[in-house]
Amino acid sequence: MRNTWLIIKREYLERVRTRSFIVLTLLLPAIVGGAFILPMKIATMKSGGKTPHLVVVTSSRQLGELARIQLLAKDRSDDEEDNSTAKSASENTPDKDKYVIDVDTQPSDAERAALRDRITTGAIDGYIWLSDEAIAQRKAIYSGRNATDFMDKSSLSRALTRAIAEQQLATRGVTNQQADDLFKPVQLEMVRMENGLESKASGGMFFLIFGMVMLLYMAVIFYGVSVMRSVLEEKNTRILEVLLSSTTSTELMAGKLLGVGAVGLTQMVIWMVMAGSLALPSLAMYPSLSEIHISPFALAAFVVFFLLGYLLYSAIYAGIGAMVTTEQEGQQLQIIIVLPLVVAVFVMGPILRAPDSPIAVWTSMIPFLSPLLMFARIAVQPPPAWQIALSLVLLTATIAGILLLCARIYRVGVLMYGKRPTLPEIVKWLKYAKT
Amino acid sequence: MNAVELRNVCKKYDEFVAVDSLSFAIPPGKVYGLLGPNGAGKTSTLRMMIGIIIPDAGDISVLGEPFRRAHTEQIGYLPEERGLYRKMKVLDHLMFFAELKGLSRAEAKKRALQWSERLELSAWTEKKVEELSKGMQQKVQFIGALLHEPQLIIMDEPFSGLDPSNAIVLKDVLLELKKAGKTLLLSTHRMDQAERMCDSICLINRGRSLLEGDLRQIKSRFGMRNVQIKYEGDSRFLHEPRLVQSFNDYGNYVEVRLAPEADPQELLHLAASGARLSRFELMEPSLEEIFLDAVGKSNA
Repeated sequence: MRNTWLIIKREYLERVRTRSFIVLTLLLPAIVGGAFILPMKIATMKSGGKTPHLVVVTSSRQLGELARIQLLAKDRSDDEEDNSTAKSASENTPDKDKYVIDVDTQPSDAERAALRDRITTGAIDGYIWLSDEAIAQRKAIYSGRNATDFMDKSSLSRALTRAIAEQQLATRGVTNQQADDLFKPVQLEMVRMENGLESKASGGMFFLIFGMVMLLYMAVIFYGVSVMRSVLEEKNTRILEVLLSSTTSTELMAGKLLGVGAVGLTQMVIWMVMAGSLALPSLAMYPSLSEIHISPFALAAFVVFFLLGYLLYSAIYAGIGAMVTTEQEGQQLQIIIVLPLVVAVFVMGPILRAPDSPIAVWTSMIPFLSPLLMFARIAVQPPPAWQIALSLVLLTATIAGILLLCARIYRVGVLMYGKRPTLPEIVKWLKYAKT
Repeated sequence: MNAVELRNVCKKYDEFVAVDSLSFAIPPGKVYGLLGPNGAGKTSTLRMMIGIIIPDAGDISVLGEPFRRAHTEQIGYLPEERGLYRKMKVLDHLMFFAELKGLSRAEAKKRALQWSERLELSAWTEKKVEELSKGMQQKVQFIGALLHEPQLIIMDEPFSGLDPSNAIVLKDVLLELKKAGKTLLLSTHRMDQAERMCDSICLINRGRSLLEGDLRQIKSRFGMRNVQIKYEGDSRFLHEPRLVQSFNDYGNYVEVRLAPEADPQELLHLAASGARLSRFELMEPSLEEIFLDAVGKSNA
């Protein structure tokens, strides 16, 4: 036990202290975050950060003010996914930074010429021509220095339509409150039917869960390969015989698996904390994203299945590392590991859409697939407890078996240098290791 | 109580017999040499003593008891295949070795620093192993095998790859450990080293023991069958097959192996009749000769 602990400590500290660990831990989130945030930032920057200055030209002061309110309101396309309380809040608090809007009540030709001059000199960015005639024909004109960029044509047209409608309703004695009520948009919930089962996964959830499963998949391979590399390093630097004079191969393998696993967990936790601290403020900014939520139970399942999946696959990687002498040879054997993982990713889509279907239930019981698939099911919609329990029992039993088998291969293999063993030779190794 | 005792130990890999019914005993406080050509079964024998591989048959006792894993804390082992973690700092590495042998962290650090000082590695304890020269890495390995003050020290080819001055430093350390009552088992195929350091030897070939026992007794058993001759003049006496079995001219002197039943006195007369002798000395055979003789016979 003491030896295993010493080996865990060495594996952990020697890895965490390396520059590559620190760089990867900090850089990967920066790259991923950058890939998401940068395009968003660029999209919202629009015309160089300066607030566009617009003039609404209409004979009615009342219509002008209504148009100003509608133009400053939050974008309609966001509202559609808001829940109702968030929507009314966002509608009543105009976005002051969006535009600077002046109302001009002189829709004359002279005024129009003057506005054109002001656009040329850069005093304003554009004007909206909303003369009585234009209102009657429902044909407003926007003219500005940049007619395509910062003004989204459809949202502008929506804002003006609504302003005109509200004004006309007001003239017919409908209050603002009533008008708001009338214009309340219908929210559409998308429920997909498949094989007679309702799927709860919305688009956002689907991507989030898929992302987490891919993270599991990559982590299992990444840390598994680093276990294999470290076994190969010990073989190639010939340090194993020195270590084996103080400790057993089983302690050595256990220490290595747990040490590298602890490094992986550390990295995951750092990433989750970073992602969490970035995601929370943006969740507050975009209430529409709050529909996507991962329960604490699913997060716990993520950690549990990461550890179990990692143990299962890295034990196999350790066995491969003991069998071969170079990384290239090891990579040829990696197919044993990658194949089940690829199968798991393939059946992922159907399972996310129908987490209770027979194919989902059975594939999530298979030990080599369950680390990814059972987690996915739990995240979408927790399956019955007996299914989770059965899957965990099968997985744990398989891990125990694989660990025993690989510890034997490890025991004989680590002292073998030179050519790669054939399958009959490996069977013989298993026999040697019995004693 | 013997430090190590092997009784009829056997180890087979598939059809290949690595160690065949080998028995020997090492008394405490002695330097024992396990000698043999490459592939004789030396490394397999050592690995069985430290529990890395398990014998198919026979018994191994260490420090008076049947071998148990706990004994590894009493044994210092320097394998022929040396190895260190290249990226680890020297001090961390030494402490890791010592802690694996059951030392506390503080004690491990104290001893690692003492030994580094003694073997002139103090300036390198904070460097990574890969920054050290081969010779320095050997010293680190050597210290690693000794930090836990083992009762039994097993070293496989301890001097290979060392320059002469470092070899002397390590030899002095080993002899000091012997004086302190530790038992040393050296495995080597360098007969000159073994001859100078060992009290007893076991010579093995193809997994079997050919010669075993006190080195001086073994040598005297082979008798005074060698003559060193320094001469000027006629060298015809070297070609007298009745007296000379073989000879080896080293330039400064000639070493002659007497033919069986030959009388050295007769050779002296013959030589003196044709050449001027400045030296004529009867010698014990060197261990190297004994080795070549014994291995040659067993292979025949």
